[in-house]
Amino acid sequence: MRNLMSLKKRAFAVASALAITTTALVAVPTTASANPVCTNKVIFTECVGATTDGAGYVIQVPARFSGTLFLFSHGYRYPINIPASIPVVGGYTVINTPQPAPGQNADQITEVATQMLTKGYGIAGSGFARQGWNADSGLKTNVELIGIIKKQFPDVKHVVAWGESLGAFITQALSENNSNLISAAGNLCPAAGSVEASLKMAGDALWGLKSFFDPTIQGGNYKSVLEVYTDIGRVLTVLGSLQAAFAANPITPAWPATSKAPAAIQAIPSRSALVLVAAMSGVPTQSASFDGATGPGAPGSQTAIQFAAAISPALGSLENIAGAAILAIMATYDIEQQVGGPVFDNTATNYATQLGDGLFEYSSALSGLDAAQGLLGFLAASPRAKADPAAVAKMRALVSHKGVFNVPTLTLAATADNVTPSGHAQWLAERAAQSYLASSRNKNSRLANSWRSNNVSLWQVTPDSYTKFSATGTPLTQRGVNGTGHCVTTTKQYLAIAEILAKAAVEGKIVPAGAFRSSIRKAGGLTYDRGFSVPLMKFYQN
Amino acid sequence: MISLRRKKSILAAVAVTSFALIASAVPANAEVGVSSTEIKLGTTVPMTGIAAPGYNKVAPAMKAYFDYINDNGGVYGRKINLIIKDDRYIPQEAINKTNELILKDKVFALVGQLGTANHLAVTSKVRIASRNIPSLFLNTGYSGFADVKKFKTSFMHFPTYVAEAKILSSYIKENFTGKKTCLLVQNDEFGADASKGFAAAGLTFDETVKYVSGTQSATTAQTWITRFAGAKCEVVVLFSVSSATAAALGVASAAGYKPQWILGSVGADSTTLRIALNNPQAQALLNGAIGVSFMPDALDTTDEYISLFREVNTKYSPGVAFDTNVLVGMNAAMLTVQALRAAGKNPTRRSLIAAMESKGSTFASAAYGNLAVSKTSRAGFTGYWFGKFNLAGALIPLDAGRTMYTTDSGTGPVTKASAKRAPLPAKGIPTNS
Repeated sequence: MRNLMSLKKRAFAVASALAITTTALVAVPTTASANPVCTNKVIFTECVGATTDGAGYVIQVPARFSGTLFLFSHGYRYPINIPASIPVVGGYTVINTPQPAPGQNADQITEVATQMLTKGYGIAGSGFARQGWNADSGLKTNVELIGIIKKQFPDVKHVVAWGESLGAFITQALSENNSNLISAAGNLCPAAGSVEASLKMAGDALWGLKSFFDPTIQGGNYKSVLEVYTDIGRVLTVLGSLQAAFAANPITPAWPATSKAPAAIQAIPSRSALVLVAAMSGVPTQSASFDGATGPGAPGSQTAIQFAAAISPALGSLENIAGAAILAIMATYDIEQQVGGPVFDNTATNYATQLGDGLFEYSSALSGLDAAQGLLGFLAASPRAKADPAAVAKMRALVSHKGVFNVPTLTLAATADNVTPSGHAQWLAERAAQSYLASSRNKNSRLANSWRSNNVSLWQVTPDSYTKFSATGTPLTQRGVNGTGHCVTTTKQYLAIAEILAKAAVEGKIVPAGAFRSSIRKAGGLTYDRGFSVPLMKFYQN
Repeated sequence: MISLRRKKSILAAVAVTSFALIASAVPANAEVGVSSTEIKLGTTVPMTGIAAPGYNKVAPAMKAYFDYINDNGGVYGRKINLIIKDDRYIPQEAINKTNELILKDKVFALVGQLGTANHLAVTSKVRIASRNIPSLFLNTGYSGFADVKKFKTSFMHFPTYVAEAKILSSYIKENFTGKKTCLLVQNDEFGADASKGFAAAGLTFDETVKYVSGTQSATTAQTWITRFAGAKCEVVVLFSVSSATAAALGVASAAGYKPQWILGSVGADSTTLRIALNNPQAQALLNGAIGVSFMPDALDTTDEYISLFREVNTKYSPGVAFDTNVLVGMNAAMLTVQALRAAGKNPTRRSLIAAMESKGSTFASAAYGNLAVSKTSRAGFTGYWFGKFNLAGALIPLDAGRTMYTTDSGTGPVTKASAKRAPLPAKGIPTNS
């Protein structure tokens, strides 16, 4: 079993993915400037500056410029500093550094940026004026930045907007509201729909952890950052306790000492409660280390099958849920600050309905039907979170998506993304199909899921089986498994997507044939099938 | 030397010819998995793992019957190519393998999917209904699959577990009133369906033992039998999977505990019992137990369907012992051939589903009665006959007329009638349209 240190590393990785810093560490003016400061870097020209909202930006255009520039929008960065004393995620300082290209870390961002420039693409990105959920301000920033780009580089013929996670949310909003400014869009590991839809999975997961394992977890209605820090600490303590219990007895792991669940509920293995939390929230039970299909021992043996069906989903949930829960705390606090009150409300949520067929699909992991129904009954009787209607109204007034595609758009999602589940991309795909079929000319068409709807979905699908074990049968920690984690994209995949988008920008459409298929085949790990489909987020299922 | 102009005209001619060949080979309405020569079908089943004994014979039996049909002209000239993937009876693996079948192998339809949890995982995660991918003749009796709104592209083969429990209740009330009656049931949707059926029929048990799927073993069976014996159960219903039934019978026999066993259809197969207990004589443990079936017994060589299927099995699966699992596979395959024929000469997924809805209830098969499938239901067969197992593990009808007990998954009554079914198509090769 993995120790707390490895949990810390994984949780930090999640935090890093959310709160990435850019490579370039570009010095940008701290105040808005009408004219950027440009420097000739021999093989490219770099301009830095700030938009009128004070957001720093960087633009890099190669000497051999193709005429296509990619505007990148980075993902969610925590909006508050986190003291080093907070475990796992402590030591974080709010960063407004502009990020001109995607990547999981500074090295990869540099690599992608360099390759993009080498291929003749211009790149640009803002750091945005504020961190946290910033779709509204980010959209305005990008609109202004495109104007600056076109003024500074008149030979820019096509702007491709692309972004990751929250950055994809901003990109889709840009595409819906200002499509005249861009020629194509790329939504990578997207959040989509609305802030409410984006927060629900994490909110449900956090509430489930609170109800089963520590009712002192606040889960929202935060009055100070201190309460946020305390909640992070409590969640990590719960997850640490569960991890230790799994290590001691993976079949019947004990409940954390902080749990106030009655003895009858604690007689059910805690792993089953954890799987229930994940399954009812929509947190994937497959993670980077656990595939839900493999066990130690001889393939097909009872030990292997039992591990795969009963234990692996719990360990996968544990590995995934830290990212979801910490995001829930940080984003909930962030949104509450923006709209003036609590916004998570599950007073009307039926978690049994939300679990759906998961009740039977995870029968072994849930320790049987009686145990699952006992756990659901306990949840049904647990205190619910109530939102402030005025705050919710303000939240709903924040920028949201209609799901229309005014420019050729490519969406990329991982089937086991634990922060922005692939159901976001599915929602976009279904909205695209609905929009296409809404036209009387297309109402009977079978091509709604094709490029004709102006949205092509690419998927990172988890391998058939990938959990690895030591010689003694201990599962080994892994990272970077295709289809798992949040925004885990290889450089080859980024570049393939860039090539597809650049072609789409020029041609005005993405046709998933010929060069498209060649690009994704060479990149590896990308699946295109116009019929491929994943479950929508629970937000749309309850 | 060929001139450039001539080269161009040759190339153009080649291109035109190639296009013509391609155009003639592919029907205008070409569907995924259907070519001019082949219909590609797929299935995921436990070929390895703890559920494999017995269940691993179902899909190969389907393939054997399809091979027989292929050797006799196929379906409107197309050969059926069944791709079998091993899901080890793990839901996540069923998702993975089904995705492979759809994305990589490009199958036209799924057939004979096995296991409730697995198919629920496939329907919810692979979303075959919204993708209009047919899944024919599910080998599970979970009543939820009859819901056409939720599972519009899935079609059942087995009677539902609810119906089976209602039918068992009817028989128990008729024959064992006043006896202490007890139940072993799986603690999942399989057991929940059974409990629903027993409750609907008003049958209560003096002792109910539930086990979590995957935990069944000789060790856990000791506790079950101790409880049944302690409660002085005179009639014990084993509504369980084969491995649990085998464990219960094995432990009870060793302990000298001999109630009247009544076995649910899922766990009562003599060859599976022998494998599960690693005992070539284990079928004797079934002797005297009461069981139910919706098809003739696999050992009933006087039955025309069984006789034909045995011949097919001997020729196309040499060395494989014919048993209930083989029978289930071949019956599903025969039904599939009729569904494909009914879907037309250029079948599409839509026409296949439409054919199932409009003509499925007329298909011939070894099962008694008709499929209950329609535009408003995805139910399979609806009735069972009762028999008693003999020393050889064969289920012998309790009455010469082979009375069929039939009911629904709701509150409808259990009715009785003599067993009827369509005669075997000539040489076992369907010719319907």
